[in-house]
Amino acid sequence: MSQQTLWEVQGPKGFKLDPRTKLILIFTSGTILITGGQEGWMLWIRPLLAFLPLVLFGLLGRWQAFLKYSLLYTLAYAAEFYLLPNFARHIGFMGFLATGIVGVFTRFLPCWAMGQYVVQTTTVSEFIAAMEKIHMPQGMMISFSVIFRFFPTIKEEFSAISDAMRMRGIQFKSSFKNPLVFLEYRLVPLMISVVKIGEELSAAALARGLGKDRKRTNICRIGFTAFDYVVFALIVLSWFGKVVS
Amino acid sequence: MFRKEGVKMNRQPLETRDFINVGIFTATYFVVFFVCGMLGYIPIFMLLLPLVCPLASGIPFMLYLTKVKKFGMVTMTGTICGVLMLVTGMSWQPVISGIVCGLVADLVLKSGDYKSASKMVLSYTLFSTWLMGMMYPLYFARESYFKDMVPTYGQDYVDALMSYTPPWSFYGLIVLCLVGGFLGAMLGKSVLKRHFLRAGIV
Repeated sequence: MSQQTLWEVQGPKGFKLDPRTKLILIFTSGTILITGGQEGWMLWIRPLLAFLPLVLFGLLGRWQAFLKYSLLYTLAYAAEFYLLPNFARHIGFMGFLATGIVGVFTRFLPCWAMGQYVVQTTTVSEFIAAMEKIHMPQGMMISFSVIFRFFPTIKEEFSAISDAMRMRGIQFKSSFKNPLVFLEYRLVPLMISVVKIGEELSAAALARGLGKDRKRTNICRIGFTAFDYVVFALIVLSWFGKVVS
Repeated sequence: MFRKEGVKMNRQPLETRDFINVGIFTATYFVVFFVCGMLGYIPIFMLLLPLVCPLASGIPFMLYLTKVKKFGMVTMTGTICGVLMLVTGMSWQPVISGIVCGLVADLVLKSGDYKSASKMVLSYTLFSTWLMGMMYPLYFARESYFKDMVPTYGQDYVDALMSYTPPWSFYGLIVLCLVGGFLGAMLGKSVLKRHFLRAGIV
C-alpha cells in the first residue's frame, strides 16, 4: 500500500474556473456588453466577450448548453443583422417594437449565457468556499449563497405553477385582459412555496450547524489555475478597451 | 458582563434564520422586479418601469416585511439588490441608491416597532425609489448614454427617447416610483389578507 492519505484534496483541474473569476467575469460581461459602445477596441472586445460563454461551455464539455446557446445566438444575430434591416420598410409601431425587442435580446443574450454558465458550473460549496476566501462576513455570505441557489429554485417552482395553472385554463394569453389576475395566480402560489422552502432551508441549515462561530470545513477544489490567469488577461483587456474608447 | 457597552437592550443581532429569510425574499423580490424590468429595455416602456416594477414586486416584499423583526434586514435587501444590478451590468449607482433606500426603509420600519402596517406601506413606498439609481446615466450622463444606444436602437429612437425625457421628468419618474410603490404596497397588503393569512404563512 502506498503512503497516500485517504482524502487528498487536490487543486482544481483543467478548464474549471475559480468562482471568484466567474463572478468578475459576469460583472465584466454585464457592464461591457450592455453599456459599451461600438468604436475602436470595443469592436473586437464585445464579440469576444459575447462568444466567451460558448467557448467556456465547450471547454467543460457541456455540449447541450453549447448547442442551445449557439442556436440562440444565431437566431438573435440573424434577426438583428438580416431580418430587421430588410424589413425597415415596415415602419410604424410593429417595426419599432420588433427592433426594440430584438435589440434587447441580442444585448442580453451573451450576459444571460454567461450567467447561466456560472450558475450551472458552480456548486454552492464552491461558492461558499470562494466567499470565505475573500473574507466576506458570515451573514452576508449566507444571504448571498441562499440567493445564488435560490434563483434556479424559483424558476423551477414558477414552471410548476405555470403548468398547474395552465391545466386550469389560466394561461398567459388570457391574462392580457386582466394582468392583475395573472399576477395573483402566479405570484401567490410562488410566495407560499417560497416561504415553505425557506422554513425547510432554515431547518436544514441549522441542523448542519450553519451560523455558529466555528469555521466551516469544505472539501471542494477551488483556487486559481493557469486558465484563470488567461481569463483574467481577457478581463483586463476588456476593461482597458472600454476605458480607452 | 452580559451586556456590551453602548448596545441597547432590545437590539438583537441577526441570526442564521434571518439571513436565510433575507436571502429568499430578496431573491424573490429581485426576480419579480427584474422580470418586469425586462419590459423596460424596450426604450419607450422604460419610462413606465418606475410604476410597473414596484407594483408587481409589492406582493413578495410585503410578505417579506411581515417576517422582518430586526434592524438590518431591509438594509441588506437594498444593498443586495443594488449589487445584483451591478452584476447584471447596470453600473454602480443602483448600489448607492439600494443601500440608502434600504436604510431609510429599515429606519421607517423600526420607528413602527416592526408591527405597524402603515409604516410597512410607507417603508416600501420609499424603498421603491431605489430604482432611480438606474436612471442616473439617462439624466446625468446623457451624452455617453445616448451615444451608446445609437448602434443598437438607431438614431430615430434615440432622438425620440431624448425628446421624451426632459430634465424635469426625472422628478416625474421619482413621483411615479412613489405611486408604484404605494400601489404595490396596497396590492401586497390585500393579497396578504386574502391569501396568505388563509394559507397560514403570515
